[in-house]
Amino acid sequence: MKNSLSRPLSQSLKEYARGIAGGLLFSFPLLYTMEVWWAGFIATPMQLLLLMIVTYLLLLGYNRYAGMRPDMSWRSVFVDSVEEMGIGLALSFGVLWMLNRVTLVGMSVEEAMSKIIVEGMAVSIGVSVGTAQLGVKQDTTEEDKAAKRRLSKMRAHSKMATAVLALCGAILVGGNVAPTEEVLVIAVEAEPIHVLFMALVSLVLSTMVVSFSDFKGTPSEVNGNIVYSTVFDTCLSYLIALAASAFMLWFFGRFDSMSFWNVFAECITLGVIATLGASAGRLLIK
Amino acid sequence: MKEQAKDSNSKPVKDQKNPLEWAVFGISLLTILAIFVYLIYQTLNYKPSSPELFVEHWPDPTEAQPNRYHVVVQNTGGETAESVQVELTLEQANHETEKATLEMPYVPQESRREGWVNFSSKPVHGKAVTGKVISYQKP
Repeated sequence: MKNSLSRPLSQSLKEYARGIAGGLLFSFPLLYTMEVWWAGFIATPMQLLLLMIVTYLLLLGYNRYAGMRPDMSWRSVFVDSVEEMGIGLALSFGVLWMLNRVTLVGMSVEEAMSKIIVEGMAVSIGVSVGTAQLGVKQDTTEEDKAAKRRLSKMRAHSKMATAVLALCGAILVGGNVAPTEEVLVIAVEAEPIHVLFMALVSLVLSTMVVSFSDFKGTPSEVNGNIVYSTVFDTCLSYLIALAASAFMLWFFGRFDSMSFWNVFAECITLGVIATLGASAGRLLIK
Repeated sequence: MKEQAKDSNSKPVKDQKNPLEWAVFGISLLTILAIFVYLIYQTLNYKPSSPELFVEHWPDPTEAQPNRYHVVVQNTGGETAESVQVELTLEQANHETEKATLEMPYVPQESRREGWVNFSSKPVHGKAVTGKVISYQKP
């Protein structure tokens, strides 16, 4: 049904173009990483299913708390997330076929599907971030601008928004390193003192980003005790980064037949990068 | 309901979709649902089983490699095999005269991988070459 309130076609095309650019920009490192192709066919169908559900929930969270339109309804959040996942899967298939990592003849359906799904999930998060972040601001009316300001203020003080964006940032930044074997090598060869320093550096980096460096997107006004806010923000970012690291490492099979110490060391190792994603990345993509 | 009424009466909803967006949404939804159905089917029918590897080989000479053999490894098991080592043995007059090995990083479940090996001499009989998988590991 043609409706005067529906968005013009040109605007939709521009959004798709931004989504495609963002999807490729953020996920090309993963599309070119063989550990990620391997992760596809090593994963069980249950793991792939879980990955799709987690990714969809992440897309919902990101679109809800960092979506580009301030007056977006929940219905649109659900619909947009489906579109982004669909575009991510299509891009993943296109690029993997172009790179000859997926072939239509001579490759089993299981192998092709698993590669497309694993890469597609990474691309769809990039599509979502690209659609929201790569465009110019189009708040034409005062009402739009006021709504955007209200939303920004609400998001800045919402713990849920902070947590969801930190999770997206941690996955987006940490995801580029999680599948590589280097994380495992660093973790198993690290002595306890190295692991301790990695954890301390993660906390210092996080504190530096959220409190002292006037980073882009940092809230200008802090309600209440500044020490409490800093400690809370740092702890939240680090815990979310560690949880995201653990999920990614588990998915890529890095916990299989490992001792507790090695699993712990792997989480701390990836946590250094994921923390930067949960703090700096979070502020950049909001 | 209350919120929707408010939206439709006092404030126009500006995020309504155009036909292109509905088309992209529809195709995306169908794709995702198809993948979900496929993965649920696979999950319900998934039986953990070790890799089952078969080796096939046949002469595939070229001008520069007259004693070349084409090797295909097929995994019909339920799990991927990593670092698959294949060995081809050349026998002349019931004596083992030469061995050639081939390593494949991964042979996924229900998949095949192929490669080639070269011998330094030509087998006298067609069946003088035997092939087997000598090792692989769990990913």
